[in-house]
Amino acid sequence: MRSKINLYIIEYAINSLLSQKYKTFFVTSVLSVLVFLLSSLFFITNSIKYELNSTLEALPEITVQKIKAGRHYDIDVGVVDEILEITGVESALARVWGYYYFENAGVNFSIIGLDEYEEQYKNSFVKVAKELDFSKPSMIVGEGVKKVIDKNYYREYFNFIKPNGTLKKVDITGVFSSDTELESNDVIVMSKESVREIFDMDESKATDIVVRVANHNEIATVASKIKLLYPDSRVVTKDDLKISYQNIFDYKSGIFLALFVISLFTFFIIIYDKASGLSSEQKREIGILKAIGWRVDDVLREKFYEGFIVSFFSYTLGIIAALAFVYILKAPLLQNIFTGYSQLKTSFNLPFVFDVQTLALIFFLSVPIYIAAIIIPSWRSATLEADEVIR
Amino acid sequence: MIKLKNIIKQYEVNSQNIVIALKGIDLHIKEGELVVLRGASGSGKSTILSLIAALSKPTSGEVLVNGDRISKLPDNFAADFRRHSIGFVFQKYNLMPMLSAKENIILPLVPMNLSSDEIEEKLKRVLKMFQIEHKENQLVKNLSGGEQQRVAIARANINNPKIILADEPTANLDEKLSLAFIEILKELKVEGKTIVIATHDPLFFGLDIVDREIEIYQGSIV
Repeated sequence: MRSKINLYIIEYAINSLLSQKYKTFFVTSVLSVLVFLLSSLFFITNSIKYELNSTLEALPEITVQKIKAGRHYDIDVGVVDEILEITGVESALARVWGYYYFENAGVNFSIIGLDEYEEQYKNSFVKVAKELDFSKPSMIVGEGVKKVIDKNYYREYFNFIKPNGTLKKVDITGVFSSDTELESNDVIVMSKESVREIFDMDESKATDIVVRVANHNEIATVASKIKLLYPDSRVVTKDDLKISYQNIFDYKSGIFLALFVISLFTFFIIIYDKASGLSSEQKREIGILKAIGWRVDDVLREKFYEGFIVSFFSYTLGIIAALAFVYILKAPLLQNIFTGYSQLKTSFNLPFVFDVQTLALIFFLSVPIYIAAIIIPSWRSATLEADEVIR
Repeated sequence: MIKLKNIIKQYEVNSQNIVIALKGIDLHIKEGELVVLRGASGSGKSTILSLIAALSKPTSGEVLVNGDRISKLPDNFAADFRRHSIGFVFQKYNLMPMLSAKENIILPLVPMNLSSDEIEEKLKRVLKMFQIEHKENQLVKNLSGGEQQRVAIARANINNPKIILADEPTANLDEKLSLAFIEILKELKVEGKTIVIATHDPLFFGLDIVDREIEIYQGSIV
């Protein structure tokens, strides 16, 4: 039975690779490590981008903060009513929240206060507000927070240290997760009343005010009206926040780019080394094959299979290792480069993002280039007179 | 069958150093003939074999095999010509050490993508003919010199070519194995093959199976 694909040439290519097992092992290992490094970087970037985009989508259209001498201060709750009178404003809500530093674990928690009777400014908080017991000091925590306080033996409650040094005991009544872990992981949700107590905040004050505008095109106008009304305020629109988030991410991407360039540079050095010539043994092998009747295209086909086997195997191995490293082991070391402030934030899981374009990009950066690096010098030798190569 | 007409072959060692390997060789070898090219190392014997096998092209002159001007063949046609018409036994055998005897023998058939039955049939014929059936699965690097040579001869004959070229075939063999090689030559001659041997081994001189001995000296026929 004759197959269209010449299995004998593939068999010869495998034998040829196995005959130089140390060299093949070395090249496969280096290629796999490079593919692993590149794809890990891509996977982490994709996941964080996904987290970032989801977080940005959930942001309020306008946030109003009180500023004194450039510093952020609590804002009067009464401002909400005045903002609601501005044409185009759909809703305005005073938020009570803040960062709580848990010294034992060296991490920051984001504590967010909710009111049972208010409309929630985030979809993820609607369900939480229903589950939260407003009749007593209780809280629902993000998964990251749960892990950290569990480690510190707080299973059923947590003692917050108030500014005056006394303790505020709050029961843990549940764990919640939102669309993105980046958003919810370090979050603690409790009643506004409890948050005010922990941060020693007056009842007439709020951290900031979030404003919803019905018509997206009117956001800028509404923002400028609020600024005119309250010149001592900072009015931040969703687009402003997007830009600042993006700037932080772009800075991180710069580090990514450096790692990416180093990986590619290493890869191309290997390729250059390969493409710059064959060993006398390899040339001799080509000469022998030609002498016994192999055409140039037969030699090149065999070399193609050799290159394909090595590069595709390395590609697959590198991708699988990167998937395991990023999504199972949670990318130790590399994740910190991108998330950066890990000392203050609790760790989070990278969401699995399957991006065919990324896989294709890594494939085209590795497999065809390596195959070309094998074929070009082989072609040079194969087109010489066989006699010259054998001698 | 084989005609070399006024062949000149030069090798350019570097831009200022040109070696003239053959200086106007004229040679005619008839079908079924066994010809021995004798001469010292560097006399040009191997170059003649290489030209007949289309492994290299003459600087001037022409090589005709069965009326075909093979010295002008493009590379791929030259490869086809070698695959079907020439069996070349190299001095150092030029086997692939990482492959078994069987895999080495069928190597010329690999690009042809024949069916496994066709390959098996051709393989069986040469394994039997050169008595190496029991060694077919051994790696050639583990075979003795004589066995390696049989594998090389079997590979040269796998496509049943009309012409067998052997370059210093006994250079790496002891006398006993050299005599065994001569026995193989007898069989090949009986099969009607045209055989050209380049050698300086006196064992071949005056042999009854040899039809003609041609002395090559410094690139010319003496």
